[in-house]
Amino acid sequence: MTAIASPAPGDVIAKPQREPVLVVSDLRAYYQTHYFGIVREVRAVDDISLHINPDEIYGLAGESSCGKTTLIKTIAGAIQPPLNVVGGSVRFNFGGAPLDVYASTPQARNAIRWRHLSYIMQGSMSVLNPVRRVRQSFIDFAFRHIGQPMPQFIDTIVAHLERLHLQANVLDAYPHELSGGMRQRVTIALATVCRPEFIIADEPTTALDVVVQKGVLAMIRGIQREIGSSMLFVTHDLAVHANLTDRLGIMYAGRIVEEGPTAEIFRAPKHPYTANLIHSLPRIGDTAPKKGLDGVPPNLAEPPPGCRFHPRCPLAMDICRRENPAMEPSGPGRRVACFAVTRGEPS
Amino acid sequence: MLSILRDLLRYNREFAAGAVLLAIVVALAAMSAFAPMPPEDVYVVPPDVPPSWAYPMGTTSRGQDVFWQLAFAIRNTLLFGFIVAILSRILSLVIGLVSGYLGGIVDRVLMSINDTFIVMPLFPILVMFYFVMKDRMSWAALALVMAGLGWAYDARLIRSIAMSLRTRQFTEQSVFSGMSTSQIVTQDHLPYVMPIVFSTTMNNINWSIGLEVTLSVLGFTNINTPTIGVMIYWANQHTAMTAGVWWWIFFPVALVIMTFIGLFLLAVSMNEYIDPRSRLSRMRGTRT
Amino acid sequence: MQSINVYIVKRLGQFFLVVFIGINIVFFVTHATPIDPVEYSIAAAASFGSTSPEAINMLRESLTELYGLQGGIWDQYLTFWKRIAVADFGPSVSAFPTPVSTLIGRAVPWTIGLLLTAIVISWVLGNLLGGLAGYYRESRILKAAGVIAMGLHPIPYYIVAFVLLIVFGYLWPVMPLGGGYQRNLAPGFNLAFVASVAKHSFLPALSLVLVGLGSWFMGMRALVSNIVTEDYVTYAELAGVERNRILTSYVMRNALVPQITGLAMSLGAIFNGAIITEQVFGYPGVGTLLVSAVHAGDYSLVLGITTISIIGVSAAVLIIDLLYPLLDPRMKAG
Repeated sequence: MTAIASPAPGDVIAKPQREPVLVVSDLRAYYQTHYFGIVREVRAVDDISLHINPDEIYGLAGESSCGKTTLIKTIAGAIQPPLNVVGGSVRFNFGGAPLDVYASTPQARNAIRWRHLSYIMQGSMSVLNPVRRVRQSFIDFAFRHIGQPMPQFIDTIVAHLERLHLQANVLDAYPHELSGGMRQRVTIALATVCRPEFIIADEPTTALDVVVQKGVLAMIRGIQREIGSSMLFVTHDLAVHANLTDRLGIMYAGRIVEEGPTAEIFRAPKHPYTANLIHSLPRIGDTAPKKGLDGVPPNLAEPPPGCRFHPRCPLAMDICRRENPAMEPSGPGRRVACFAVTRGEPS
Repeated sequence: MLSILRDLLRYNREFAAGAVLLAIVVALAAMSAFAPMPPEDVYVVPPDVPPSWAYPMGTTSRGQDVFWQLAFAIRNTLLFGFIVAILSRILSLVIGLVSGYLGGIVDRVLMSINDTFIVMPLFPILVMFYFVMKDRMSWAALALVMAGLGWAYDARLIRSIAMSLRTRQFTEQSVFSGMSTSQIVTQDHLPYVMPIVFSTTMNNINWSIGLEVTLSVLGFTNINTPTIGVMIYWANQHTAMTAGVWWWIFFPVALVIMTFIGLFLLAVSMNEYIDPRSRLSRMRGTRT
Repeated sequence: MQSINVYIVKRLGQFFLVVFIGINIVFFVTHATPIDPVEYSIAAAASFGSTSPEAINMLRESLTELYGLQGGIWDQYLTFWKRIAVADFGPSVSAFPTPVSTLIGRAVPWTIGLLLTAIVISWVLGNLLGGLAGYYRESRILKAAGVIAMGLHPIPYYIVAFVLLIVFGYLWPVMPLGGGYQRNLAPGFNLAFVASVAKHSFLPALSLVLVGLGSWFMGMRALVSNIVTEDYVTYAELAGVERNRILTSYVMRNALVPQITGLAMSLGAIFNGAIITEQVFGYPGVGTLLVSAVHAGDYSLVLGITTISIIGVSAAVLIIDLLYPLLDPRMKAG
């Protein structure tokens, strides 16, 4: 099955259906290392399919080292050995100009960077060059895309910075002279100044304290609405997903195990892993003791056979130990990879 | 440690090349035990004979067999470098670990002194030392002085490693379990520092041999103890190059260059082995 | 602005500490000596033929004050410092009665010129090649350059200079064997003289550059291969910033900061190398002067050169340290 299949009739995104901006099909990306004569293979992204619609914020959740970061690196076409794409494809569609990331030239890939596809990375501390003024970073990243003479270009940037409540004088500052929240807003400004159709955000608010985080999230939401771009938003923080994303994919051990409209997933999670994640969230008035999962996520160098979640799964059946469940539609706009859900409860 | 050496020999070309070079040099030094004549004797063989079957490296203008002279010279030179390295290792380990571990004011004072010795031009001081000591300047005295001057750079390195160790969790655990500072330093930290000490030892031997050769060539050491530098000194005294006795110069220079490159290769390959980032970079493969 | 002042004060303090400890070593060595420097020098002076009684007396007086015997050890120590503070090392024994400071003053420009040329060339070239080699890991030419740099780096200055002299002086005599300029030329600012100086400096400078190149090359290559994994480089690469811009303004620019510190730290060693190299080529700088002073038994000259070397090198280090904040904006705000 592929994700390109037309979206389910009840899709909550009630917009005129346009083609998805991003289609990922059967993507597999492994770390393949040869060290002192021993070959190791870590299946960090294993058979993932998803699509992201125009004007949509797609959230990706999962615990650390579940392959989230590898997945977005692979989608961005920013991989280096030992990380290799073993199979599948990543296709963008920017205003009718399709681009297959792993079947195109580096020049073609570079041509879309920042103009159509930009990033907000985690670690605002370290994503800006410490010995260059902020102004210089804007010129390096955006000048050639905007195509204005320098004075107007600077005006454009200043106007854009104002949207993020930043003053023009941050342009003359060095990164270390800004606070963490300001720095993160600068990187958001940097990522959005060219009005790209697609933005990848990797844990952009994780390093910020909660108060700043809230403001930054509101700004990301606002600016995304304003420029109408799509966004792939990655964080392990489910509270952020609940507040921000339209649809949500849950990753476990290199695979997506459940996908659907964020609100629906929070209301009624289907996959036992998702259910556990959501029930472990604190809720006001809920006094029942929280129960965590036993065990730890599997080592991706030697994943367990069958469903990768089965050793920790309360619903595990025989088939789960032998076969890997595929993502199958389950209700309006939702997909889940679990035999217990798609084949009914164990008898 | 042994398995590290085996892995390095097997998988690291630089280490293997360095080991081979040094093995040749050490073998030659060991030959000195079988020399048919004491090294100080002059005019025991016909002078100025080019390399031949009887004298594989020729003879000097002073009637010495270059091969046997070289065996003694490289033995003394290696021994010298080794002793300086061992002595200065003790200094740099103690100062580096104490400074890195205690931190604070002790660290600041020790590192100021340390930086002083890094910045200080040592060569004029060594020359001046020879100048006031003249003939009393022995091989051992020079080794002591050089050890006393040559510890600083590596002490800084060891300090930075000790500092990073101090903040690791197992150190805190040891502190809470009531181990004394000296116990923590010797039992917990020394094993981490040892591979670095090995690599700095190689570099330090290089450094001290280089200075010894230089001082000897200028005649600023005891010119009756054969070392590589002293051999070149005598060759220069007899203007071997203009007289066409090239083998008197060529073999010691070639041998000492082999020694330098061999020691250096061991040091860099060990460094590369230790440095997690470069190990990582090898695992990451190559950038295009 | 506060922390920049603290930084300057610290660097100044370090400078004075180096000078203080260095001069103390000089004092200790000269006073722990088993020979009597005064009688030793006078005997040496006599052998040079300057035996007029007044001259001997003048020499004895300045030597006694410098090394010696007037008053207790504390008085001696203070007098010693006083002499050094005004750079008065008395007359040279081997070139009597020329003052030691005049002799050193004549040699210093040669040494500074040679060192400056060699350091600038090797630092710039080494960093450039090392940076390229760290960034373009696959280039065969740069890999070969790396092997050559690694092979040359561990060889001491003396051996490199000596081999160059043999190859280009004796075996293939295209370069002069030594000296600072052609003997029959009068020093002056004209083409012939400048060309002659350049030609005579070529081999000494080349040996300093060859040895120095390796350490900058390897240092830069290692720094660059770490910096390319930094987030800000990855981010710029993701943004499709041109490779040349990334290499220069992102990777190399950040690697230069530690390389400047490295330059300050290795100035002492480079100076040692220059002394030795000068001697091999008979270059009329401080190094050659030092070695000939030792051979001539010129106590004051040896002492003077050692002291000036310590002060000179630490002053050069201080200058680099003070320029450092210009390169690293993080220093200013701290």
